[in-house]
Amino acid sequence: MRNIDSAGHLRGESLYLDDLPELEGTLHAAVFGSPVAHGRVRRLEIGPALETPGVVAVLTAAEIPGENQIGGILPDEPLLAEDEVHYDGQPMAIVVAVDEAVARRATRAIRAEIDELPAITDPREARRRGLLIQPPRTFSCGDVDAAWEDCAYVVEGVAESGGQEHLYLETQGAYAHRTEKGGLRIWSSTQGPTVVQRCVARVLGLPMKEIEVDVTRLGGGFGGKEDQASAWATMAALASLRTARPVKLVPHRLDDLRMTGTRHPYSSDFRIGLDEDLKIVAYEVTFHQNAGAAADLSPAVLERTLFHATNAYFVPNVRATAYSCRTNLAPNTAFRGFGGPQGMFVMEAAIAAVAERAGVEAAEIQRRNLVRVGDTFPYGQAVDEPTAEATWDRCAERYDLAGLRRRVAEHNARDPVRKLGLAVMPIAFGIAFTKTHMNQASVLVHVYGDGSVGVSTAAVEMGQGINTKLVQIAARVLSIDPSRVKIETTNTTRVANTSPTAASASADLNGHALVRACSAIRGRLLSLAANELGLEAGSVDLREERVVVGATATRLGRESLDWESLVRAAFFRRVDLSEHAFYATPGIHFDAETEKGSPFGYLVYGTAIVLASVDRLRGTYEIEAVHVVHDVGESLNPTVDGGQVEGGIVQGIGWMTMEEVIYDEAGRLRSGALSTYKIPDVYAAPKRLEYELFETESGNGAVYRSKAVGEPPLMYGIGAFFAIRDAIRAASPEARPSLVAPLTPERVLLALYPQGERATEAAFAEGEESPAEVR
Amino acid sequence: MSRAVTATLRVNGEERTVAFPGHHTLLEVLREECALTGTKHGCELGECGACTVLVDGRPVLSCLTLACQHEGREIETVEGLADGNRLGPLQVAFADLGAAQCGYCTPGILMAAEAMLREQPRPSRERIAEQLSGNLCRCTGYLKIVEAVEWAAAVRRGEDAGPPPEILFGHPEPGRPGGDAPGRRPSETASSNT
Repeated sequence: MRNIDSAGHLRGESLYLDDLPELEGTLHAAVFGSPVAHGRVRRLEIGPALETPGVVAVLTAAEIPGENQIGGILPDEPLLAEDEVHYDGQPMAIVVAVDEAVARRATRAIRAEIDELPAITDPREARRRGLLIQPPRTFSCGDVDAAWEDCAYVVEGVAESGGQEHLYLETQGAYAHRTEKGGLRIWSSTQGPTVVQRCVARVLGLPMKEIEVDVTRLGGGFGGKEDQASAWATMAALASLRTARPVKLVPHRLDDLRMTGTRHPYSSDFRIGLDEDLKIVAYEVTFHQNAGAAADLSPAVLERTLFHATNAYFVPNVRATAYSCRTNLAPNTAFRGFGGPQGMFVMEAAIAAVAERAGVEAAEIQRRNLVRVGDTFPYGQAVDEPTAEATWDRCAERYDLAGLRRRVAEHNARDPVRKLGLAVMPIAFGIAFTKTHMNQASVLVHVYGDGSVGVSTAAVEMGQGINTKLVQIAARVLSIDPSRVKIETTNTTRVANTSPTAASASADLNGHALVRACSAIRGRLLSLAANELGLEAGSVDLREERVVVGATATRLGRESLDWESLVRAAFFRRVDLSEHAFYATPGIHFDAETEKGSPFGYLVYGTAIVLASVDRLRGTYEIEAVHVVHDVGESLNPTVDGGQVEGGIVQGIGWMTMEEVIYDEAGRLRSGALSTYKIPDVYAAPKRLEYELFETESGNGAVYRSKAVGEPPLMYGIGAFFAIRDAIRAASPEARPSLVAPLTPERVLLALYPQGERATEAAFAEGEESPAEVR
Repeated sequence: MSRAVTATLRVNGEERTVAFPGHHTLLEVLREECALTGTKHGCELGECGACTVLVDGRPVLSCLTLACQHEGREIETVEGLADGNRLGPLQVAFADLGAAQCGYCTPGILMAAEAMLREQPRPSRERIAEQLSGNLCRCTGYLKIVEAVEWAAAVRRGEDAGPPPEILFGHPEPGRPGGDAPGRRPSETASSNT
């Protein structure tokens, strides 16, 4: 089935936040952010901004009626800075004006007098100074310290992965207006309507019932609007409350880039040990997560890094320790994969390093150590399906891994300039919010008198196709045509206490709740039908919009008893045509004291083969091909799921290769525009991308066994890093490229010519040349 | 705030006389005065391509050009692509292949592709990539977009083309529940619900 939003998107009729018709008297807001990354605020001069023609109000922390606090996990983040600022761009004041241009211009008239303090941007330095978001956490199993003795190969090293801007094409945004009796209605571009509702209620000092949050759809989220949509919505709400006018706040792209966080950069130390048979015996890793200036979702992201520290491999002796380090960057946040990719990258880096030591292909080690049924992950969850090995073997067979490897070697022997490299990337990704309590959802279904159906859920449509899947589910349970079903906006008044649309879990959580609601309505309608027909309950069925007994259509009086007549009859017989239903994922648990449990409903597996070519003269590269076998259980919608696979892979390749978030020593973002921060464009896509949606018997926790697909494919992108690295080594066998991502063309060139890198470093050390001149 | 100017713009074949501040971009005037919100703000710096419209048949970044310079020019936006209720081949191909996910970059990409297809009925993949190289998409990874343009070109040429072979990978067997069967033509109707 096509995405139900397609026609609207393709006609330009789909409404996003900024497209909503404006209410009479709407004002526009812009945000003044701290000009420095760290300091004590002496004075904030708003007078000149307030005097600018067209400006209606300039709001500071003093105007906040409730608590000046938006931290969800830890209360460490004010909506508007007061005495101190902790990152460049931290919101300090909101300018409200008659139009957007005036508001934005007036922010430049604000002056902040700040006594600057040193800015810390490096997570290791933050750790040295004891600047941690929370005490470190350690996941362990076996006896790592004793295990090194049993190893034939032990390698240690450092691996680093960088940040990643979400770069949703639609920026953050919110539109708020007052309702009667002092409440507010807010349209927000958020993945978490309840997160916004809770945050606004807290800051404005109002009960949640007075705050209605509505979400139409997002022009992309990727985690960036899970928690960080709240500040914008709360600022719009505050402005609306204080001016008694509707207020829209849609930040300029440059403000969005500067004021919101990215995927967490990590700097990690690893040590890995293998026995003679290339079995991984021990793995020790210390993660330094660059959390930025506030906790935001960092503790939860950190936890998932630990869950996925060993990726798809069984390792009997593990010690993984993670530090969440407080720095003076915009708070880093959720991004597709939520810390998982960062953990998996270090494991793959360790395998690459030890493969070089052992003189074997990394794939030899990878294949030999994939998890099998009966293995357990370090945190205690048992492996209950053979899919890691199955997808690897299927991928190797279908895309001829041995033949590809041979062709790569042949090509490299022939071509002195363009070298090919190959890497295999298996994944295992757990599905559920790792915070067990968040694994709940509810829905509200109305069947209207004409047989059409309105469905409200907690899920937010952001391009991932959730609404299409929900239509399919409702239509399937009610045995009706999908065109009868409408998915309503996500609204806190219709569905309360929602978990954000995140963790790849929304189709499962909302889908299961929807099955329950529709099943209840279906049950009532069938009872009614049996009663009307004078048959036993249970003898009638609904199929393709008809009430049937066995294979025979039924009639009620002269009319055939179809969906519409059945619904009509139900109305007149006073049968409830609406249902609210609730779902909580069963059987999951995790004990944060012992760091053991079974937190995931199931895992998603898969394997990718990535082929890259490197130009050894220029350091440029291309992704020649990606071949994937991806575990879907039984896909509810292969078009939607395939789209997630493709888009996730390209986003993962971007993170690993070209997307480089750069801060200077003062903590200012230097890659703060699309001209300086490069996401994949059409040329960066792999030249060939083939995938098989691999059907398995597993996935019993998934709705209709259609496994979650949102995040896992991103991690295939890690293979691009190692494929390029492989090509570098083909070009220059003595090269030992450092394990630092993103592997930009500059880094590739420096790895190809290490003597050049040393010369560059020496030049820097002597201060002879600026980086720009060197480049 | 600057004074309003009045101009008559020809948008999607319809003349509209609108008043707007003289410094407003074509993007702002299309969205605010003409209520054509299909064209999107992405970066307002000419870096993402989301605001692409056609001016006299050529793709233009509407965020970088002033509305008042467009009097008498033929402006086309995404809202003008469909023929009444019937989607054009490009739109149908995008829908069938899932080449639009969040949809925010889609209008700009459609317009850039449309301009090319009018002049080049048989563009190579390289030509399609070149045409779309100024348009960013964060959801799809571009592959489906390029395939959809290629497919739409074939349909416009009147060739009885199936979807390009690449999309067969990962798609279900014909007739499997939930999936579009591969190998068929883009659907003929504008209805998109199923």
